[in-house]
Amino acid sequence: MSTAEIVSRAQQLFEDLNFTYAREWKAAAPGRKVVGFMPVYVPREMIWAAGALPLGIFGGGDELEVIHGDAYYQSYICRIPRSTIELGVSNRLDFVDGMLFPFVCDVIRNLSGIWKIMFPNVYSKFFDTPQNYQSSIGGNYYVQELHELREGLEKMAGRKITDDDLRRSIADYNENRKAVREVYDFRIEQPWKAPAWEVYLLMRAGMVLPPDEHTKMLRDYVAAARDEDRPIRDNCRIVVTGSFCEQPPLNLVKSIEMAGCYVVDDDYMLVNRWLMTDVPTEGDPLVNLSEAFIKHSVETACKYVDKEEVKGQFLVESVRRSKAEGVIFAAPSFCDPALLDRPMLQHRLTENNIPFIAFKYAENSGQMQPIREQAGTFADSIKLWSEQQ
Amino acid sequence: MTITAGIDIGTGVVKTVIFDVDGDNTKWLGKRSDRIRQRDPFQLAEQAYDELLEECGLGRKDVAYVATTGEGENLAFHTGHFYSMTTHGRGAIYFEPKAGAVLDIGALHGRAIKVDERGKVTTYRMTSQCASGSGQFLENIARYLGIAQDEIGTLSQQADDPEKVSSICAVLAETDVINMVSRGISAPNILKGIHESMAVRLAKLLKSIGAVDGVVLMTGGLALDTGLVAALNEAMVKEKVNLVVKSHPDSIYAGAIGAALWGAFRHEKLARLGQLAMAS
Repeated sequence: MSTAEIVSRAQQLFEDLNFTYAREWKAAAPGRKVVGFMPVYVPREMIWAAGALPLGIFGGGDELEVIHGDAYYQSYICRIPRSTIELGVSNRLDFVDGMLFPFVCDVIRNLSGIWKIMFPNVYSKFFDTPQNYQSSIGGNYYVQELHELREGLEKMAGRKITDDDLRRSIADYNENRKAVREVYDFRIEQPWKAPAWEVYLLMRAGMVLPPDEHTKMLRDYVAAARDEDRPIRDNCRIVVTGSFCEQPPLNLVKSIEMAGCYVVDDDYMLVNRWLMTDVPTEGDPLVNLSEAFIKHSVETACKYVDKEEVKGQFLVESVRRSKAEGVIFAAPSFCDPALLDRPMLQHRLTENNIPFIAFKYAENSGQMQPIREQAGTFADSIKLWSEQQ
Repeated sequence: MTITAGIDIGTGVVKTVIFDVDGDNTKWLGKRSDRIRQRDPFQLAEQAYDELLEECGLGRKDVAYVATTGEGENLAFHTGHFYSMTTHGRGAIYFEPKAGAVLDIGALHGRAIKVDERGKVTTYRMTSQCASGSGQFLENIARYLGIAQDEIGTLSQQADDPEKVSSICAVLAETDVINMVSRGISAPNILKGIHESMAVRLAKLLKSIGAVDGVVLMTGGLALDTGLVAALNEAMVKEKVNLVVKSHPDSIYAGAIGAALWGAFRHEKLARLGQLAMAS
């Protein structure tokens, strides 16, 4: 299969706001359930172990007209909660049996409450991840949160989630994370063969496909992309950060690359890469998931970093590891976590002589010319005037 | 010796140049411009590029770096792309080494760019979205007046009593012009009025980037409009700004030239870093 065919399949899944694939998956066998989840991270292993399909709800994108959603929120917040409500009230999520709202910000926390009121027959949970990263404190708390989630999912699914169910599920997601890392590593190595928008769609496909099917898609892509001959451009290499919740429109992802930047790392759909190492399949699965979260998870704005000198180091290391020459901060308008984090991260980049630019977007942004101008002139400045070269 | 090509895909015209660069020595080998006229700009650019190479006695394999600018990001065979501001800045320095600022006025927009002695862009401002300061607007006016575009500059300089035209909005300005025609105002006075109105806007744009003295080079399609250049210099005197606005007969190639020269610069830099394979 060619990369074009694989990407076309991923794009169909991405554009389908009726979630036909998930509906068909559910209808294919009796007793199957679908559990929606919002950015940034939920332990999908728990959902999959309950015999349910984890379905990432990452807003409505630029194709969804928000009519009802605006009535629920004030104008000065981001767009993802409005478009998520729009998906709900327009019955596009009427097949979803549960919804998880992980901790991102107050807006998403409030959305979980609204969801409970609006859809009382749907299992809804605000999944409150710890902000203390000591195993004996935050870790223990997180294990309790996982117990609570397990009980809720069992009630919803009408079946027990055994430890062995969880171990099998963890193994499936370990394999999936490995495949995700392979795609990102391949892009670092040969970014001209894995354009940012293709990688974006592949990762987005993981929000609706079961882990095994997604893993196969990713590996097929890398195999096909390695064999394809694509022209090498004289582009600079950049990391995109700040887009971990509300997603940029696909045209924005394309525009950055068109403007002369190879995107060699990003924080889109971080749930795919939240845990940076394999989760052990031996021992207590809840403790294993908790330890992985506490000790081996990525850093984003919605995670508390208790040491000032450490803040931003993760981003600097991402730049080094991916051999990037600069950073583009692309955050949704009104995104408190990303925009409040930005000055601290920029300070760290400045200390490390890493150039950066910043802009904001909404998931339905339509005007790409200013983005192209900014990203393009940034690329020019790196190519022509960077000190490292 | 490094052969580089610069291809500037504008809104109305594709400009192509070939250069031979050896350190600070540059030799301009060839140039051509092609009006797009509802054709596919990428096909047109490819055809123009191949024909120009042939005219220069070269083949594609002789070219070390094909640099695009303007709307050329999607041209299939380009090596690297540079943004218009970056290329117009460099192109301006090529024509006028003393230039401290550039006025790039194309078919759909205008921008003032401040550059240093290397052609590095230090700041810029664009006109607002309204088309009243653009080449397309002047093309429309020429059509209403029944004159050829290349007559605009000469006629404007024959004006004896320029008529004031709205500088805020192209629609209002076009209505103004229609009214003037019906009132029997002569074409030179209408054109001069338009040039004066554009000049005031552009002078403000230059002020906003801190260009207050020295030489400004005009690039883009309207660099060939002698009437606008004259009106700009008059506006500088009126505004008591010590700027001299200049143009060059080949100013429309500034973007393509800048692209070709930056392409050579990049090629040399990548060679020095042992990364030429990244731009093959």
